[in-house]
Amino acid sequence: MVEIAVLLKQVPDTNAKIVVVNGRVDESAIASWVTSPYDEYAFEAALQHIEAAGGSITAITLGPARADKVLKDAAALGVTKLVRIWQDDWQDLDSNQVQAALANAVTAAGVDLVYCGKQSADRNQGSTGPGIAEILGAACVSEVSESDSAGSYLRPTASGSERVTVSSPAVVTFTKTQNELRRPNVRGIMMAKRAQIEVVGGDVSASQVNFNGHSSPAQKPPGKTYEGSESVPEVVGLLRDEAKVL
Amino acid sequence: MVYEALDFYDLDSQLTDEEIMVRDMVRDWVEDEVLPKIEKACSDGVFPDEWRVALGEMGVLGAPLEGYGCPGLSYVAYGVICRELERGDSGLRSFASVQGSLAMYPIWDFGSEEQKNKYLPKMATGDLIGCFGLTEPDYGSNPGDMITKAEDKGDHYLLNGAKMWITNGTNSDLAVVWAKLDGVIRGFIVETGDEGYSAPEMTGKHSLKASVTSELVFQDCKIPKDRILPGVEGLKGPFSCLNNARYGISWGVIGAAQACFNSAREYSLSRIQFDHPIAAYQLVQNKLAWMLREITKGQLLALELGRKKDNGSWIPEHISLAKMNNVDIALQIAREARDIHGANGILDEYCIMRHMANLESVKTYEGTHDIHNLIIGRHITGIQSFTRSI
Amino acid sequence: MDITIIAETQGDNLHPVTNQLVGAATSLGASPTILCAGGAGADTAAGIAGVGKVLSVIGDCFSTFDGGAWAAAFDAAAGTGVIIGAASAQGRDVAARIAARRGIPVVQDVVAISQGLTMTHPIYSGKAMQEVTVGDDCVVTLRSNTFPPAGDGGNAESATVQQSGDVKIAVQEAIAKASARLDVSDADIIISGGRGMGSPDNFEHLYALSDKLGAAVGASRAAVDTWDEIPHSMQVGQTGKTVNPSLYIAVGISGAIQHLAGMRTSKYIVAINKDPEAPIFKVADYGIVSTWEEALPILGDEIAKIL
Repeated sequence: MVEIAVLLKQVPDTNAKIVVVNGRVDESAIASWVTSPYDEYAFEAALQHIEAAGGSITAITLGPARADKVLKDAAALGVTKLVRIWQDDWQDLDSNQVQAALANAVTAAGVDLVYCGKQSADRNQGSTGPGIAEILGAACVSEVSESDSAGSYLRPTASGSERVTVSSPAVVTFTKTQNELRRPNVRGIMMAKRAQIEVVGGDVSASQVNFNGHSSPAQKPPGKTYEGSESVPEVVGLLRDEAKVL
Repeated sequence: MVYEALDFYDLDSQLTDEEIMVRDMVRDWVEDEVLPKIEKACSDGVFPDEWRVALGEMGVLGAPLEGYGCPGLSYVAYGVICRELERGDSGLRSFASVQGSLAMYPIWDFGSEEQKNKYLPKMATGDLIGCFGLTEPDYGSNPGDMITKAEDKGDHYLLNGAKMWITNGTNSDLAVVWAKLDGVIRGFIVETGDEGYSAPEMTGKHSLKASVTSELVFQDCKIPKDRILPGVEGLKGPFSCLNNARYGISWGVIGAAQACFNSAREYSLSRIQFDHPIAAYQLVQNKLAWMLREITKGQLLALELGRKKDNGSWIPEHISLAKMNNVDIALQIAREARDIHGANGILDEYCIMRHMANLESVKTYEGTHDIHNLIIGRHITGIQSFTRSI
Repeated sequence: MDITIIAETQGDNLHPVTNQLVGAATSLGASPTILCAGGAGADTAAGIAGVGKVLSVIGDCFSTFDGGAWAAAFDAAAGTGVIIGAASAQGRDVAARIAARRGIPVVQDVVAISQGLTMTHPIYSGKAMQEVTVGDDCVVTLRSNTFPPAGDGGNAESATVQQSGDVKIAVQEAIAKASARLDVSDADIIISGGRGMGSPDNFEHLYALSDKLGAAVGASRAAVDTWDEIPHSMQVGQTGKTVNPSLYIAVGISGAIQHLAGMRTSKYIVAINKDPEAPIFKVADYGIVSTWEEALPILGDEIAKIL
C-alpha cells in the first residue's frame, strides 16, 4: 500500500500565444487551461503505482477556482482526495512560498511519496519538487523518465541514466515518460461531477522576491541566406551566440 | 497544426464542467487516434474496429439515454460529442448516431424490459453494434409506403423485403427493422444469424468511405415473437428515432465545418501568392468572414436546440431547421474551403475534400434538405406539400 | 558582494559552463569562491581568471547524486551571500534545496543578471521573460551559453573541507546512453532530410549528426513516399507530425507548403539546399545554399567543436 500526493498545476495550453500587456502576461487572453504536461506524466505514474501496489492518491493544486478543473480531471480518473490551496495573492507567490504552501498540504495528506512534474509549463523554474523535499526532510529524485511500483526510478546522468531507489518519504519529479496518458470516460466524468474539493489556505510568510515585470522575448533577426558550405562555421556560431540553441 | 475550434461567441463557455470534460475527452481522442488514421480508413473503405472499442470505452454511445448502462448525459453533451466526432469524420459520427439514436433509442423507448436488459448495456459498451432499417430501395423520403412486411406465424414472425443505405449494417449484431404488420408499421429486432437475414455491404461510395453502408435483405426471415418492439405503432416510431439522430447531425456538421474553416484559415495564412499570404486578399477574407458568420449562426441554432431538447420545449420542426441549415452551410463551407486551398484542396493531405464528399451524403440522409424545407413549409402554412393530393 | 559558485562537474573534470558562472560573478564585481563537489575539477577551477578561492568539499555523499545530501554539504561549506550554480538538472535540484534550507529566494535558469540583484529568466518556454529583484542572500542558477566565460590565468588559493550529508538515494544500475532513436515529437533539435538526400542510405549522415546533437531525425513526405526505408513515423508536415523544436535543420528539403505546415513554428530553422530559389529559404532563419555533401561534414565538425 502506498499513499501518493500528486501535485498538479494548471497552466495555459502549451500551444497558447503568450501576450504581455502593461508588463504582465495577459492571462485573460488565454482561452484554454490545461494540466501542466510533466505533471500529467507524474499523475499517470502515480495511477500505475497504486494500481500495482494498492493505496490511494491525493491530488493537490494551488490556484484560483478555475484550477478546480485539473482536480476534476484527476477525479474523472478515480482520485477522490482533492485539495486546492487558495491564496489571494497566488499569482505573486515566489518559489519558496509555493513550496511552503504545497508542503503544508502534503503534510496534511500524510503520504509516502510526492509525485510532480520536473517543472511547470508556465514558470519553468523546477524548484518546487526539490524545495518541498527539503522542507519535508525527504529525498528527491528528479527528472524521472521511468518508474515502477517497486519504487525504482530511472533518472538522467551525464553519461546516460541510472536506476535508483529511494527511502520514503520522497519526492519524485517526472519528465516525459513512455507511458500513454489515459483518457477519462463518461462514467468517470459523472463521478467527477460529484467529487468534493477541499479548499485550504496556503499559510505562507511574506515574499522575498520583487516582481519587476514580464516582457516579450527579443525579436529574432530576419532570416538570412548564406552562400556556400564555407558559411557553415559562421552559421554554427550564430546558432550558439545569437539563437542560443546549441 | 494546432486545432483551435472556431467559437466566435465563446458559446462553449456556456457548457457545464461535465460537458467541457466530455468535449475534451472526445476531442483529444479524435486528435490522437482518428485524424492520423482517417485517410487510410477512407482509402481502405473500412471503419476501424478499434474506434468501436474506444467509443464504447469512453462511454459515449447512447449518451443521452439513462439507465441500462447508459450514461444519461444532457442532449447538449450529446451534441458536443457529435460535433467533436464529426470534426474527425462524418462516418465516425454516423456510427455513433446510428448506434445511439437509431438502434439504442427505439429499444430504450419502445422496447420491453427484457429487450432493454438484453441489448442496451452491451450496446452502450460497443460490445453489440446495431443498425436501423427504414429506408428501402424504392422508398426513401416516403417511408410510409414501405414494402417490407411482417407476418404473424403464430410462434414467430416472418419478415420479407429489403432495406438500403443502412449504416453499420454489415458490422451489426442486431438491426432495428421497421416493417408492416397487417398494414401497420412496427419495429422488430433482427439479430445477425437469424434465418433468412443477410446484410451485404454496398460498395463504390465516393462519400462516407470510412463508414460501412449495407443492404438488409429479408427472405422468409424467421424471428421469435419477443423481438417486436411493443411500445410503438406507425411512423411515430422511426420518426422519433430520426429526431434524435437529426439533432445530433445539426451539431455534428458544425464540427466538420470548423475543421474546414480551421484548415482554410491556416492555409490562407501560409500560402504566398503575389508576395503576400492569400489571407491578405479581400476575396479570401470575404470567404473566411462568411464561413465564420455561418458557423457562428449554426452554433447558436444547435446550442439553443440542445437546450430545448433538454427542457422538452422542442418540436420536430425545430430539428428540421437546424439539420437543414447546418448541413447546408457546412457543405458550402467545405466547398469554399476547397476553393481557398486551391489545387491543394483536392489532396488527402487536407481534410477538405473528404468532409465535402461526406457532407453530400449528410445533406441527403436523415431527411433530405428539401424534405426538411417542406416540413417547415407545412408548419408555416398548415398545408402539406409532400404529395399532390391535398 | 559575496558570491559562492557551485562548480558544474563532468566526471572528474569541470564542465565548461563553470567558466561562464565565474564570468557572470566577476561581472557583478565579485571575486567568487568555487565549491567543487568531492574536489572534482578543483585544480582547473583555481586557474580560472577572477576566482577568489577554491574549496574542495570532500565527503562520502558525493559518490551518488542526492540533491538533499549535496545541498546539506554545500550549505555548510558556503558563506552567506549569493550562491550561483548552473541551470542543469542537478544544479537546479541543489539550488532549490539550498534556498529552502536557508529560507532565501531561488531564481532558476537566469539569462541576465545585474547589480541589485536584478535577474531575467524565461517563462512559458521562452515565450515571455520575467524580471525579478532579490536581496543579496539568494540562490541563482544560470543558463549555459548565455554568459561570457571567464578566461584562464587565475591562481586562486585552494582549501579542502570535509562535509557529509545523509544519502537517501541508492543507485541500482547505471545505464549507458541509449542508442534508441529519438522521436521527432520528443526532440528539441530535429534534423530532417528530403528527397534531395538522393538515397535513403544518405540519411546515415543525418543520424551521425543527430547523435552528436541529441537530435531526432525527421523527413519530408517526398522522402517517406519515395523510400520504403524512411518510415511514416519520421514524417514532418501536414499529414505527418507537427513539431515545435528549438532548432529545425532541413537538409535537401525544398519546403512544400505541406512540409512547412508541420515545422514552421520551430524556434529556429536552418535550411541546407543547393537551390537558392527553394521555398524553404523563405522560412529559414539561417539558410545555407550548398549541397548537403559539402555542408554536412563541416556542420558536424563545427558542432563537435562547441559541444
